[in-house]
Amino acid sequence: MKLGLPELRICHLYPELMNIYGDRGNVIALVWRCRRRGWEARVTRLSLGEPIDPSRHDLFFIGGGQDREQMMVCEDLAGEKGEALRAAVEDGAALLSICGGYQLLGKRFLTCTGENLPGVSLFDAETVGGDTRFIGNVAVDCRLEGAESTLVGFENHSGRTRLGPGCRPLGRVIRGYGNNGEDGGEGCVYRHAIGTYLHGSLLPKNPRLADWLILRALRRRYQLEALPPLDDALEDAAHRAALDMVLREGKRPRLSPRRRLPSPR
Amino acid sequence: MKSRPSDYNIRMDMRLAAAVAAGKAVTWLSRRLGAGAGSNFPGKVILRLHADAPQAMASRLPGGCVLVSGTNGKTTTSNLLSGMLRAGGRLPVHNRVGANLITGITAALAQASDLRGAPRGDIGLFEVDEATLPAAVERLRPRLVIVTNLFRDQLDRYGELESLARRMDAALAGLNPGADVLLNADDPLVSSLGRDTRATVHYYGIEGARDTEKALRHAADSKHCRECGSPLAFDAHYFAHMGRYSCPGCGRSRPAPEFAASRVELRGTAGSRVTVVTPGWSADLFLGLPGLYNVHNLLAALGGAQLLGLGEEAVRGGVEGYSTAFGRGERIPIDGRTLFLVLSKNPTGFNEVIRTLRGEGEGLVVLAALNDRIADGRDVSWIWDVDFEELAPLPRRLVAAGTRAWDMALRMKYAGLDTSRLEVRGDLREALRAALAAAEEGETVYALTTYTATLELRRLLTRLGAAPGLWEEG
Ligand SMILES: [Zn+2]
Repeated sequence: MKLGLPELRICHLYPELMNIYGDRGNVIALVWRCRRRGWEARVTRLSLGEPIDPSRHDLFFIGGGQDREQMMVCEDLAGEKGEALRAAVEDGAALLSICGGYQLLGKRFLTCTGENLPGVSLFDAETVGGDTRFIGNVAVDCRLEGAESTLVGFENHSGRTRLGPGCRPLGRVIRGYGNNGEDGGEGCVYRHAIGTYLHGSLLPKNPRLADWLILRALRRRYQLEALPPLDDALEDAAHRAALDMVLREGKRPRLSPRRRLPSPR
Repeated sequence: MKSRPSDYNIRMDMRLAAAVAAGKAVTWLSRRLGAGAGSNFPGKVILRLHADAPQAMASRLPGGCVLVSGTNGKTTTSNLLSGMLRAGGRLPVHNRVGANLITGITAALAQASDLRGAPRGDIGLFEVDEATLPAAVERLRPRLVIVTNLFRDQLDRYGELESLARRMDAALAGLNPGADVLLNADDPLVSSLGRDTRATVHYYGIEGARDTEKALRHAADSKHCRECGSPLAFDAHYFAHMGRYSCPGCGRSRPAPEFAASRVELRGTAGSRVTVVTPGWSADLFLGLPGLYNVHNLLAALGGAQLLGLGEEAVRGGVEGYSTAFGRGERIPIDGRTLFLVLSKNPTGFNEVIRTLRGEGEGLVVLAALNDRIADGRDVSWIWDVDFEELAPLPRRLVAAGTRAWDMALRMKYAGLDTSRLEVRGDLREALRAALAAAEEGETVYALTTYTATLELRRLLTRLGAAPGLWEEG
């Protein structure tokens, strides 16, 4: 265990390729919430061809990307690099992956054009591309131990993700589609690694989840019971406003394969 | 000698006339009821009564049609071009206030037509939503298509940039061989368009700009070569992914622009001095619109005017007589203060506005209104891609407003703005009141507003008697 003020070492994976819907806001929130506590947070940006050293980072982040970018990242993560990411999580590192990043950390992603992208197999999950997109505001009842709360965000994905027994969902959908629009699950959790479809950005409006990740990430190297609280009045107000809004929108139609959403393409 | 129209033609004419009359009635009614500008409803009524109404009306325009498409700058470009056409003695039929779907174009044509459906004008000038371009090309058979730029604005509506580009390519492939296409050379994705077209492709671009950026911003979209996927190399960045680039992979490079700005001197919110160079002439122009992105709009309009046969005098007249496109950089006096109203609808637009604001000093009063209606994009995640960290030191008071006021406030907090300087007022009327109260007599309030928030604020100002109504401007 280290002494002195904690320092959070964040590894932002593929920041320029996987940041389709403002996902960098999650990194901004993590850094900000450390600095407000008087702690340092350092962000290392790693992209194509740059190896991961599992012991040099406490928290990994990967956002969503478009098809082409996702393909490039999939290739890059195959082999040693994906292995290193798995090793870090097995060793207790925290990880947050959003949308396309989440899909790539499963076992495989079968795109709607029939391509089979092998995943990192960090999550016991499989994604199949659908012909309609799940788009809209989402509210989730989060069951994560130590971060029980609602989550609010925005989803925009055509992939349908199904979880195996090796991981559990992050929460149950209150409004929105979630992992696949059918089983009511949203996201997945394995050890301190989280995958989710929620953009928004996710962490600023869901500060409890942000602190859950920070605490788990730091506990690997520092003796910490809990994080010192911050003044989250604005965060909570923004969370409530988003939650009220999505609840007012009402239930979305259930999507069967025959009934289509008005699709953007 | 007149040929006798067939019964069929007479029937079609009567149907068109009925549809046009119904459209006019609905437009009149919706204005009386105060429904929004650019409402698509009249167009829907006309298309329901006569599915081919737009092409039937457009085919009666002797000068044909011009389409302006792209993510940003459509309205400013087409307003500038409209001014140049008028200065050159032409009478454009123009869809104003961002009504850029087929329904909006149909309504604009009907509004400008007599009761038989013959437009009172000699050339159609329509701004067209990127995703509507294929349908608009098919219906209107344009003689000129201008594409300004492509950003990943509103991906919840369009899907991905690459598939959007493919659809735009297919649209351009449908143009007549005699038509012209004018593309922004500085946007690598836009300049890659038109590979299959039989029309003649032209380019415009900035050649000399001192105020370039050192590195690509994270909000940049098109950083990879469309041909081979390699990361592009830039020797100059103007803003976002605009600049002078080449591909180390396949050797593709930025096409040389036919219509260029050889020198640009930015003068804050007042505008820019631009030296333009065209195949026929070159000149110094003063553009009363801020930012490099408006230099692009100027070049697009100027190139379009040249391709339509207008000369230097018409271009100059159009630029000098230009009154800002509604809501885009407008100064409105109210309560002894000035409201500077700027449409800021996506990361690139916002970053440009912030860059311009930095020239105005610190201690500013800012109103930032974020809406998430369909026309704005329901997903507001993009605000995390805006460099609000550069805005945060500027305001002494920032009022966050709109349907997503709390998201905007939270973004500003995480950008480093002290929460004591922050005020949240979802309702625009209350927000405006709070911002005006925070400003001193004679001071400027900077209102940065997304698309529908701009419309809403503009309507509010009209009701308060501070701004002329939308319908009185032309
Ligand atoms: Zn290339």
